[in-house]
Amino acid sequence: MPVDILRTAPTDVTDADLKDPALVKLRDLIYRISGIYHQEVKFYLLATRARRRMTVLKSLNFTDYLDHLTTRPNRDAEMRSLLNEITIGETYFFRSLAQVDALTKIILPKLMGMKAKQSFKKLRVWSAGCSTGEEPYSLSILLMEQLAAKGKEWSFEILATDLNDNSITKCKEGVYGEYAVRNLTPDRRLKYFTQEGANFRVNEEVRAGVKFERLNLQDQTKMLFMKGFDLIFCCNVLIYFDGTAKKRTVDHFFNGLIPGGYFFLGECETLFGIYEQFRLVHFPGTTGYYKQIPGEEAGGAA
Amino acid sequence: MNPATHKMLLRRVSEIGSLPAMPSILQSLGESLSANPSDANVDRIVELISYDKSLAAQCLRVANSAMFRRRNDVETVKGAVVALGLWKIRDIVYSCTLPTLLSSPKEGMAPTTFWRHALGTAMVTQHLAQKLAITSLEKFYLAGLLHDIGIVVNAMLFKNEFHMVLSKAAGTETPLCEVEQEMLGFTHCDSGRVLADTWKLPEEIAHTIEFHHVPTEEGAGIELACTVHLADLLCRLRGLGYGYYEARAFDLASEPAWQLLAASHPAALELDLARFTFELDEHAVHVEAMVDSIFGGAKVHA
Repeated sequence: MPVDILRTAPTDVTDADLKDPALVKLRDLIYRISGIYHQEVKFYLLATRARRRMTVLKSLNFTDYLDHLTTRPNRDAEMRSLLNEITIGETYFFRSLAQVDALTKIILPKLMGMKAKQSFKKLRVWSAGCSTGEEPYSLSILLMEQLAAKGKEWSFEILATDLNDNSITKCKEGVYGEYAVRNLTPDRRLKYFTQEGANFRVNEEVRAGVKFERLNLQDQTKMLFMKGFDLIFCCNVLIYFDGTAKKRTVDHFFNGLIPGGYFFLGECETLFGIYEQFRLVHFPGTTGYYKQIPGEEAGGAA
Repeated sequence: MNPATHKMLLRRVSEIGSLPAMPSILQSLGESLSANPSDANVDRIVELISYDKSLAAQCLRVANSAMFRRRNDVETVKGAVVALGLWKIRDIVYSCTLPTLLSSPKEGMAPTTFWRHALGTAMVTQHLAQKLAITSLEKFYLAGLLHDIGIVVNAMLFKNEFHMVLSKAAGTETPLCEVEQEMLGFTHCDSGRVLADTWKLPEEIAHTIEFHHVPTEEGAGIELACTVHLADLLCRLRGLGYGYYEARAFDLASEPAWQLLAASHPAALELDLARFTFELDEHAVHVEAMVDSIFGGAKVHA
């Protein structure tokens, strides 16, 4: 459900809820388990989503709900349900404009500079856990725009994978509602979509750059073959994995990237305490992870 | 700063007029605080602050704001001094007084933009020093607050030229000091040093002002300069910069300043920098509220 609808919908979240120290504990628990960090400005959302689970469980306050998440026998399943609530409505086109700026102004020029001397000028991108397709299609639009100015010898390829068959079907349909396109400029809506009643269909040229496949990130054999990417995006997927699975999956991403490539998580996710080989990089308004080139001086990401 | 630049800068300042004077309250406060904290005359400091009614009210608002507040609100200047301690009161008085130096928007950089950066850097410097488990914290906030004071000098004394510097820096998405060096022949670090000497600021703070862009330079304030350098970068990366996009990325843990600090403060190796960044965003909201309060007289809220 769209975030802004959630904000205006009637809710039983009170001011007392937002000041409840147990909510801070809940935030810290979610961070420890999933790597998702809720800033104070998002406490309203966190409380709303937790309250929804609490209604199901008939749990009356956050302290009791914390108990459900930490000491009750079904705690793992409950954490999963809560994470589901938390990540609902997280995806739309051009979701993170800071990330778009980092890509266009810093990362793509750097990657293209690196590849300029190669005869095969192609950028390869993987959207791992692509959900309903907004992320890979946004990347396709962005890369089309950025490469257009660079001449015909440049091309790109986006691989978009998800575990869920329904998601892949939805991706291939490429039809989206108003909510998904709300962050797109009118120019981009007109240029890359065809309006069908209240919906927007992704145009053929945008689709052409994206290949969709069903893939389980836990499939060790298939993961071994995922190689040679310049950029990998994996938004709100790792949060569902336990520590070992997270580490193993990120290790596959690391090995799947070319040296000098970048890895991105969801906006509030981090790899802290999970994986050490990437370098955390700060871009204006956003962060990402960098795979160093062997022999490169520290700080090569910048 | 090399002697030739120093000489040129002094000559240019004397041709134009004179450097901004240190606000008198800060001079008197400095004298009262220069003694050993245990010898400082609390009543004299309370009297100094209370003399200017609007300053006293401002200080109380800030003392009760989310940036400084302890558990209970303070209602009198004396109460604030007792609850927060002399160093914090000094920080608050500086935070409320310095913005009067550059408060007119004619000088090229919006005063609110500049003071958000100054107060933001002050706060992040202090938080970072705490996270690194640095023990004597008295000068960190103040060093952060004053690090860019040379921008005030440049904006006031070299108005037209600085205006052009700013336009070029914004247009080319380049760091300010690079464009200053190119167009003025000196940077805000140099003019800040000259002002720090005139104001007779403590050497560590003067050193930080001069070297916050090359912070590993040997000197009395090397740790202070390194911490301010990192806080300055973080603020510029998280929306508390100079009001324009700087197309740069940073691997903070590879910064020489970070490595120098980490060598003597092992807590740095344990620090979750991604989470620290999210926390910075939370504080940024309070910084903005505080600056709005200083300029607009609006009430500061949590």
